[in-house]
Amino acid sequence: MLHRITTLFAEAKDLNTHRIHNREFTLEVAYIGSLVDESKVSDYILVPFTKEEQSFKTILETNPSFKKIEDPARWAGNLLRGFVLVKLENAIYMLDAARVIRNQNPIAEVESSVQGPQTALSEDLIDSMNLIRSRYPSAELKIEEGTVGTLSMTRMLLLYDQRRVDPTLLANIRNRLKEVTHEMIGAVGELEKELSSPRRALFPTMIITERPDRVARALSQGKLVLLLHGSMFALILPANFFDFMHAMEDKYESLWMTNFLIALRYLSILLTTTLPALYISVVSYNPELFRVQLAFSIAGSRSAVPYPSFIEVFLMLFLIEALIEASARLPRYVGSTATTVGGLILGQAAQQAGLVSSIMIIVTSVVAISNFVVPIASMSYAIRFLKYPLIVLSIFFGIMGVAFGLFIYIVYLCQLRSFGKPYFRFLGNITKKEGDIGQVNAR
Amino acid sequence: MNRYVMYNFVMVSLLNLMLFVPNILFQYRYHGAVSSLIAAAVIGPLFGIVFIRTITKYPGKGVPEILNENYPRWVTVPAFLFFALMWFSAASITVDAYAVLINRFFNPDANVLVILGVMCVICLYAATRSTLSMLFIMEIMLLLNVPLIVMLLVKAGGSDQMNWDAIRTASNYVQSMPKLAPLAAATFIFTGYLNLSIYNRVLPPNYKFKRGYLLPVFGIGVLATTYFIPIGLHGIDGVSSYLYVWSATSDSLAMEYGFIERVLFVFLILYLNLTLIYTASGWHQAMEMIKSCFPKYKPSIDEHPVPRSNYVIVSVFAVITVAALYLLNEKHLTEFTSYWLIIRMFSEYGLVIWIVVHTLLRRGAA
Repeated sequence: MLHRITTLFAEAKDLNTHRIHNREFTLEVAYIGSLVDESKVSDYILVPFTKEEQSFKTILETNPSFKKIEDPARWAGNLLRGFVLVKLENAIYMLDAARVIRNQNPIAEVESSVQGPQTALSEDLIDSMNLIRSRYPSAELKIEEGTVGTLSMTRMLLLYDQRRVDPTLLANIRNRLKEVTHEMIGAVGELEKELSSPRRALFPTMIITERPDRVARALSQGKLVLLLHGSMFALILPANFFDFMHAMEDKYESLWMTNFLIALRYLSILLTTTLPALYISVVSYNPELFRVQLAFSIAGSRSAVPYPSFIEVFLMLFLIEALIEASARLPRYVGSTATTVGGLILGQAAQQAGLVSSIMIIVTSVVAISNFVVPIASMSYAIRFLKYPLIVLSIFFGIMGVAFGLFIYIVYLCQLRSFGKPYFRFLGNITKKEGDIGQVNAR
Repeated sequence: MNRYVMYNFVMVSLLNLMLFVPNILFQYRYHGAVSSLIAAAVIGPLFGIVFIRTITKYPGKGVPEILNENYPRWVTVPAFLFFALMWFSAASITVDAYAVLINRFFNPDANVLVILGVMCVICLYAATRSTLSMLFIMEIMLLLNVPLIVMLLVKAGGSDQMNWDAIRTASNYVQSMPKLAPLAAATFIFTGYLNLSIYNRVLPPNYKFKRGYLLPVFGIGVLATTYFIPIGLHGIDGVSSYLYVWSATSDSLAMEYGFIERVLFVFLILYLNLTLIYTASGWHQAMEMIKSCFPKYKPSIDEHPVPRSNYVIVSVFAVITVAALYLLNEKHLTEFTSYWLIIRMFSEYGLVIWIVVHTLLRRGAA
């Protein structure tokens, strides 16, 4: 066995192959030193083998941690996942001794909450499963294991409540997972892009979350959850647009304020997508839209600006997007410096230099701030892009262009499906007795 | 799903302004418009309720499937082509009229054909979606727009400038007999139920039409506001001097608080949304009618990805629409519309009677 393994692998220093003897047997052991916990190897194999308190053969046969492996083709794959291969008298066993380096007890930072649960999922599948199982103690929870990525062979778990899940959805997602042919899958975001159809969707059709409470709630609603080894985020599917606008916090806080906050989020995404385009159309096309006093004050604040409004908008949007990007990419201690410097430029200086109007500065900051109100980061990113097509339309058609653009977005959202389920629709009260539209097709 | 039936009805009835219905009514204001309104308020809901009750007896089937199963192709294909033409022309008139309206009130410098082209591309995109998506789009757009439209109508009705004397004078002409043209125009308000001839495919099998009284109540409300509010604001003589009478009416109102002062702009944007959704829906139905002419066609209510035939058919619609505006002016458009409304009334009631008689005969035979 050892000879065969050494020929399978490229020359690697951490590939350990030993042949050891005791009075009874000769044992061959192979593992990759960097992937396994060496103490486990000595506790389970080397010490019992050399102490000889019990025949090592019976240990291998009785201890369920050792699994028999028949197919030599699986040797390399298992070694690479942190298994130890043991050969005793022509029988080959494997032992899981993987040592996973991961974040310890992570705190939810992307989707933080004030009074909700604070832990986030872990980068290790077993820890994540612990968190989810303890929140969803149901015997109906089914877990399927698999790998994605032809090269990365990332371990993946598919979780669902077998009584609540929609079987057609399950078949659909299994097929979709089979079609993933990427070499490397490193994070759930990458998997999401591979699974979503159409490939170039404007909006995310699956939720990426780090919160175990969100995962547990999704399971109870009959949704599917995908976990990836090495990524502390879970993928929940299917999802609709309104799920993305809900923070888990909404369930934990006072009813009226959270309802108000949800309304505020919708208002915010409307503002962040339309405001720059509306600025262009009001300044360059239809100043008569606003009441006279307001139109005058906008025109007055622009009096020092020498170029058309859309250049002004592009200038400021470039600055704000660059600033957001810089503060996200920089190391944390330099980040605050960048925001201070950028804030100075965006604030007073640009306006006093006569490069942009003061109204435009307000527009820019409203656009930036209201974009961050969206609770799920992937939706926040998607919405960040939406303002640019509207700006282009408003350059050519003014207010009407903005209205055209919003109409197209709504049509796009309405025709989008998340694994066959409608993505954007007003649910209203649908009673079982009356049925829902589209049922005839779905049977 | 009662509300989806109602959406169709509400959409078409509010859209009457774009099809010059008020203009036609005002032309006959001394010669039978009021009595035509009353006659329409009886005929419209009557046919509507009868049609809805009949067609919902065929769950999952639109008019094309019902007729194709029972009549030879040489009967049904011309009929479908004719209905497709009716739906298509209504939608195209609307979008043509609206493009001109944008040119008049919003972007006077822009080329009207360019604006129309963009609107046609948008409607092409929307109309080629699946039937199920069409209803979702319609629902969202109406939920966003109709509350504001109703608010504006109420605001117009409660305006200080309203001259109730003029309205009283106008209603005194009730004695003159109804005429064909105003009757056809007024019954257009109730024509939304006919959209079910395609959308019935989507309704659930155990659907039962409820709250039928909303049809006459809402329809009469829309008829009354459409006809009487402009008369109250412009006077019974002045009202005929406008082509876009409702734009002028909304421009006579002001919102005293807030960013926007002139109601006109809010009104135009709301009606833009309504026009786009009506055009998309009309083209979609015309497209489905044409597709039903092919013997191999199997209707599907939620098809992804969109079949290429959808794009081909609706592109032809879009090209014809742009060409129509290039060749015709507003005067031709209004004239054409008044004829269209009359043909529409007869063909619509013909279709309703056909389906109802067919259903009754089938029940008699069974």
